[in-house]
Parts: sequence; structure tokens; C-alpha cells
Amino acid sequence: MSSREDILQSIRRNTQVRYERPDLSSLEKEAVTYPDKVRQFCEMMKLMGGRAIVVEKGDDVNEIVRRQYPDARRIASNLKAVVCGGKEQPLTCATFHPDDVENPGELDGTDLAIVDGQVGVCENGAVWVRQDVEQRAVYFISEALVLVLDRKNLVNNMHEAYKRIDTGEYGYGVFISGPSKTADIEQALVMGAHGARDVTVLLV
Amino acid sequence: MSTKHSKNAEKFLQNKEMVKWHDQTLWMVRAKRDNMSRELPEWEHLRDMASAIKMYSNSHLDLLLQEFERNAHANGAHVYWAKDADEYCSIVYNILHAHSVKRFIKSKSMLAEECGLNEYLEEKGVEVVESDLGERILQLMHKKPSHIVMPAIHIKKEEIGELFVKEMGTEPGNNDQTYLTHAARRNLRRKFIEAEAAMTGANFAVASTGECVVCTNEGNADMGTSQPKLQITAFGMEKIVPDRESLGVFTRLLARSGTGQPITTYTSHYRKPRKGGELHIIIVDNGRSRILADKDHVMTLNCLRCGACMNTCPVYRRSGGYSYTYFIPGPIGINLGMLKASLHYFDNVSACSLCYSCQNVCPVKVDLADQIYRWRQKLDGLSVASSSKKIISGGMKTLMEHPHLFNFALRNASLVNGLPGWMVYNGLNDWGKEHDMPKFAKESFNEMWKKNKVK
Amino acid sequence: MKVGLFIPCYINAVYPQVGVASYKLLKSLGVDVDYPLDQTCCGQPMANAGFEDEAHELAKRFDRLFEQYDYVVGPSASCVVFVRDHYGNLLAKESHRCATEEKIYDICEFIHDVVKPVSLQASFPHKVSIQNSCHGVRLMHLSSPSELNIPYYNKLRDLLSLVKGIEVVEPERPDECCGFGGMFAVEEHAVSGQMGRDKVQRHMDTGAEYIVGADSSCLMHQNGIISREHLPIKTIHIVEILASGL
Repeated sequence: MSSREDILQSIRRNTQVRYERPDLSSLEKEAVTYPDKVRQFCEMMKLMGGRAIVVEKGDDVNEIVRRQYPDARRIASNLKAVVCGGKEQPLTCATFHPDDVENPGELDGTDLAIVDGQVGVCENGAVWVRQDVEQRAVYFISEALVLVLDRKNLVNNMHEAYKRIDTGEYGYGVFISGPSKTADIEQALVMGAHGARDVTVLLV
Repeated sequence: MSTKHSKNAEKFLQNKEMVKWHDQTLWMVRAKRDNMSRELPEWEHLRDMASAIKMYSNSHLDLLLQEFERNAHANGAHVYWAKDADEYCSIVYNILHAHSVKRFIKSKSMLAEECGLNEYLEEKGVEVVESDLGERILQLMHKKPSHIVMPAIHIKKEEIGELFVKEMGTEPGNNDQTYLTHAARRNLRRKFIEAEAAMTGANFAVASTGECVVCTNEGNADMGTSQPKLQITAFGMEKIVPDRESLGVFTRLLARSGTGQPITTYTSHYRKPRKGGELHIIIVDNGRSRILADKDHVMTLNCLRCGACMNTCPVYRRSGGYSYTYFIPGPIGINLGMLKASLHYFDNVSACSLCYSCQNVCPVKVDLADQIYRWRQKLDGLSVASSSKKIISGGMKTLMEHPHLFNFALRNASLVNGLPGWMVYNGLNDWGKEHDMPKFAKESFNEMWKKNKVK
Repeated sequence: MKVGLFIPCYINAVYPQVGVASYKLLKSLGVDVDYPLDQTCCGQPMANAGFEDEAHELAKRFDRLFEQYDYVVGPSASCVVFVRDHYGNLLAKESHRCATEEKIYDICEFIHDVVKPVSLQASFPHKVSIQNSCHGVRLMHLSSPSELNIPYYNKLRDLLSLVKGIEVVEPERPDECCGFGGMFAVEEHAVSGQMGRDKVQRHMDTGAEYIVGADSSCLMHQNGIISREHLPIKTIHIVEILASGL
């Protein structure tokens, strides 16, 4: 008999009581909400070691990026334009498309990546990034990361977030909440363990 | 009267400075967890639901695992079933071998620790690189984790500084945590890029989508799996959850409970193999299905491996992870060790004052302390109960079942300068190592009552 | 309402004044109290050490001794909760239906929840630090455990607030274990001792003159440490304060 069958049989033999599936609806209704989502999200991003910038109508996205990352030379993005206040602004600060490389290792040395986020979560500052480039390494290997997020897509909590996310055609997605961090040496918090050292969310 | 744990703890406690640091640092994590939980008015409801989902999923493993398998297949993943540690190790090896992998990068996986994967692979000539910073430090030091979430919590930065001079060419004497972390970042960056396969564990496996969810702060799981196109993900079968709706509950609890963060930096959902790549998923039993039949201990399968029970445990904080003989320390480790091999790991059962704090912090409400109490009741049947404790208990039983003996002892207690026979009986002199003996009253309450002195 | 006073073995032997204070306090509150003779031990020390079976006979004796009363009340949260949580199971093994598990109360709980006095005669012009004992907090619910996200309450503090002249504080880490744990204190004496020293230090850091608690066992443990280390703080059972002046 295969291990699969062995295991399934052992499970069936040993399972004693079958418990009901709980109804989560009352929890989801009771879950924390925020009257001012933008403000809560910005505060949470700060707490998580990143920053959120509210992009107002008339602000120049390219200028904001350059001001925030004046030393960035290699800037990767798959975005041609950013829609801000209903108006499309061409993204001109990027220097290459992440899928232009053949091997993901070539993305090492990328100073900044600018990518789309689909959902932002106010309770924890997490942004859902559905893979929409072939080299998802760009989300992690770049020294800094800019996530462009429509503020209409802010949700209160993870219950709401999970109703809205999908993993798309690449079958991958990740909640990113601020820069990569570790406290593995004597519990001292250090930003930039393996992934981006710095994360900015542009709320458009 | 002592156990391996109590002896190891005594050694750990000799380094007063370290003990103080260890206790305070982990207490700080507990305090962060408390603060996080208080941000959410629905916290206790969340715990109730998390526990209920686990009770549901662990009592429907047969159905949920098959649902997971169907969906994973549909996503293009390969799915394997491993009965035990050996089978799991050999499946991993066979995949690597078939792809001629020599350089292999791993993110932290307690399952891999449980099954001795690294040793197995290294013996067969595969270079395994741990990518979690704490795990990497320990790997280079040839040491084991002392905590499941903060594996290198027992190592001082000076030791790491010295290690990195040798291993990563850092400046001697520079033990700054940021400097050392960034040195490891550069060093491991090459390892990620050169790796031919990457492996992760899973915090959750979602039946309805066939995806595996991995939570990290460093981003090491994603750095690994976004470089080589060969990905292996393995999980113990109790990691299964029914659907994404349940993830909404667990992702709110996991990091808040474990490290006092609102969420881990990365919560990654691996559903399909990369374009032109392969995703191999291994479902591991290794004794778990057996636990299903054990009603006294089945709730250990709820465990998310968040580490909160360690951080709150007053004994763990003052005895360190190495004082336990099972690779998972603290309250959950005491129980998992006993389930793995009682006769091997019974020494850890002493490491509990039955304070019940662990049960209150557990995000999935594992009845940790109740289980330890139950294990204690079973030690005698396993013939591994402490003989001196047995003698004391037996002595007390005789004394207490016979009021005239008890009253006699009470009458004479104060004549003995210190403890009367029934309390001194053997072994109890260990009390005297830390305390003065309680002084017996000249007249017991019984005596006073009989003499009508209680008014 | 007839109350059977339960005096645990070590209180009988070491702290009879706690028994006396309990009796006086209940009497002063108009409770009809009786002390059935031939009490010994509830069996918790053996059970926590792993020899629950050795507590069967004791449980049977205890249950018979107290079954006639409307309430069983004792000045030890830990012993009381052992009866409440474990006797049903222990006695079921002996085919004996437990009569006491549902009517046994810790004395603080009993006064707080059943007697509900609005005032006491007690006066205690001292600063005291509350020893929130593990079993009192987490098994008997005498106060809100620090781990749970529920509103703060503390029945010991409520009762102490009826005492004139007293200043009540709680230590940092208000309900961390003091390290007693029955035979744990002997088998794991090094950890237990460290826990005890840390606990006493936190009580001292409040500037309190007394550590006050509802469990003499925790107090006995800390007292042993205070005496060994010659520390400037004393321990006292809460009923001794509540009964002061009686």
C-alpha cells in the first residue's frame, strides 16, 4: 500500500470526534474597523518600519520617488503609468523592466523597484502584492521597494483582505508589511535582513 | 530528586547575567504580545475561532488533505506523502538528486529539525544553507535552536561577531547588530543566487486552493524561492486549514502572539510553480495521525508554533531552551516530546510549576498545562516516575489518610526544629538550598480548635 | 446557611493563625461556621507530583466530611480549586458522586461573591503588594489574568479596599508565578528559587511592607526566601488583614 493510503487510513482510524466547522461571520462583523483608514494605514506603516505617502491630486509621482530615493540608479518597474486622482501620470523614473533580465540573480543590485499593490490592510500595514511579473524576485531582492496602492483599496482587517485577494495567473501573492527585518542577534531590531531595506507605499 | 531538565536548569542559572537577560528579553516579547492583543477588542473571540477551526480541520484531515492534494495537482504541483521522518528525508533527497542539486537553500522549518533533514542531506553530499539569520548563525556554530521562533536567542553578539570574522570576513571587534546583519545579508545573497533548489516549510496549507502559506520577517523564504526554479515545500499535516477565510483568523493571531507584531513582514502564498519551474509539496505524518486517537493530547495538533508559550513560561525563561531534552522546548515541547517518545523525553515533565499562563497566551487554546498535569499522572505507569517523589507522596498518603497520625504529627511538629518527618522525608532537603524551612506553629489549628481556643 | 471550614494541612501545621482569622472573619459576617475534625489534606501535592491515584481516599474522606454543609470554605485558592476541578473525576473512578465540588469556595471568593459585605471593621495602616497566585487567578478567576484581553478586576483588591488605612499595590508582572508549585519547588529547586527571588524583588520594588495573598503556599515559599536572604518585607494572608481588629 502506498504511504498516501497508509496515512489516510491511519487518519480515519484514529479520528475520534468530528468537530463542526465554526461560523466566522460574527467574528468578522465584530472585527476592528477604523473611521479614518488612510490615517490608520499611515500610522501602521510607520510602526512597521516603512512609510506611506498620500499622493494628492497634482503631485508628481516621479518627483516623489526621486525625492524619497535620490541615490537610486537602477530602478525596476513594470508600471508604465500611475493613475492618481483619476489622472494617468506616466512613470518615467524607472530605468528597466524586471522581466528584461534572463536570470533573477541579475536583479541583484537593483536600487529600487516600483510595483503595484492591490489591497492595503489598516490593522497591520500589510499590502497584498499579486505577482504580475515573471521575476517575482524583484519584490525581494531590490534594496528599496515602492508599492503603489489605490487608497480606495484599503480594508480594515485581514478578514476583509482575504475576501479581496487573488494569486492571479502566476499563482503567487504576498502580503508585505514594511521592510525586511530581523531581531535574531540579541533581539535588536535591524531592517534589511534579506529583502528590501526600505518600503514606501504611495497611496494614490 | 532531580531530572535532566532540573540539572541542566541549575547549570543555566549559574550565569546570573545571562539568566536575567534571557528572562527579561523574552518577557519583553510577552509584553509586546499583550499590547498587540489589547489593540483588538475581539481578541478572545479570535482565539476561540482559531481553536475551533483547528478542531474542525484536525478532525477532518482525511478530507481536507485530499482536497488540498486535488487542488495542488490542478495548480501544477507535485504532491508526496511521507509516513515518517525517513520517508520525508528521502523524498527531499530524491527530488534534489533527480535534478542534480548540490547547492540547496532552506528557510526555517521546525519539521526539518524534527526529521533531521540537514544531517541526512549533508551525509549524501548536498550542501544545505539555512537562510534565516538565526538558523544560519547556529548552523555555522554547529548548534541547535533554543527557541522555535527566536532560534539564536541564547547566543551573544560577541560570539556572533567572532563567528562572522571567520565566516564572512567582518572586522574583528565590530559586534554591532546592524553591521553583522548586513554582513550576513551580503554573504547569503550569493548563496540565494547560486542555489539550485529552495525549500520552505509552511505555516498553513490551504485545502480549498492547494496553496502553502509561509510567514517570515526576513523575506528569506521568498528570496530562496524566487531564485532557483525548483521549490520544495513540506508541512506536517496539521498545518492544513480549510480555506482563505480561516487564514484571515490565523494571520491575525500568529505574529501578534509570537513576536508581538501585527503581522509578519512577509505572508507569502505559493500556489503554482514558477513559469518553467517545479513545485514539490510533501505532506508529512511522522506520528501525527497517531495523536488523533489520544483524546488527552490531541489538542497539541492545534499548535501554530508561534512560541508564545515559551515566552510566557517562567520556567523556560529561567532555564533556557537547552535545558529541555526535546528539540522543541517550553510547554508545547514538553508535550510534543512526550507524544514522540515518552520514555525518552519524560525528564521535561518536571519543567512546569502548573501556573497555567501558557494556556492563556496560546492563540489556539492548546490545554498545555492540563496536558502536563496528565503526563505526570502517567509517569508512574511508564515506570519513570521519580522514586523520591513517589516515596513522599506515598508517605503523605499514609499520613493523611489517618487523621490520628496526622494529628500526632501536628502535635509534635513544633518540637522538631524545622520540618517534621513527613515533610523532610527524603529529597526535601533540596528545599533548603533556596529557602529557609517554614517554622511550625507551637499549636496547630486542630489543637487550638479542640482546646476551644478558636473563637 | 451552614459553612464547613476547610483548613488545608500546611495551614493547620504552619499557619494556624490563618485558620483562626478565617473563622473569626466568617463569624463576624454572620456566617454559621463549623470546623469538622479529622481534616487532613486535599491530595493536591500528590496529584501535582503525578500521583493522583494516591488522592482517591483523601478525596472520599474529604467529601464525606463536608457533604452535610451548604458551603465548604477554605483559605487557600489552590487547594480549593483542586477539589473543584479534580474531585469529580477522581471520585468518579471510585464510583462516588462528588458532593463538594460545586459548593466549595475559596474564602475570598466566598466573601466577595456570596456574602458581599459592604463594609468591614478591619484596619491595616500599611502598604501591601498583592500576590496574585496562579491557581487563584487562572483557575479560580479571583482576578483578571494578565494574558487575557478582558476588563480588569481583582476580588482581593476589592476586599482590601474595605480595610481602613491600607494602601494596595500590585507588582510589575502582576501574576507571574512565584515558583512554588508543590514538589516543583523541590524537584526544580534552582528554577523555583530563582522565580521566588524574582517575585519577592518585584514585590519589594513596589515599596510595600507586606506581600498579601490568598494562598499560604505561595507565601510560605516566598517567606522561605525572605528569611534566607534577610529581605525587608513580610508576608501575610489576606484573611489576617480582613480579620484585623476582630
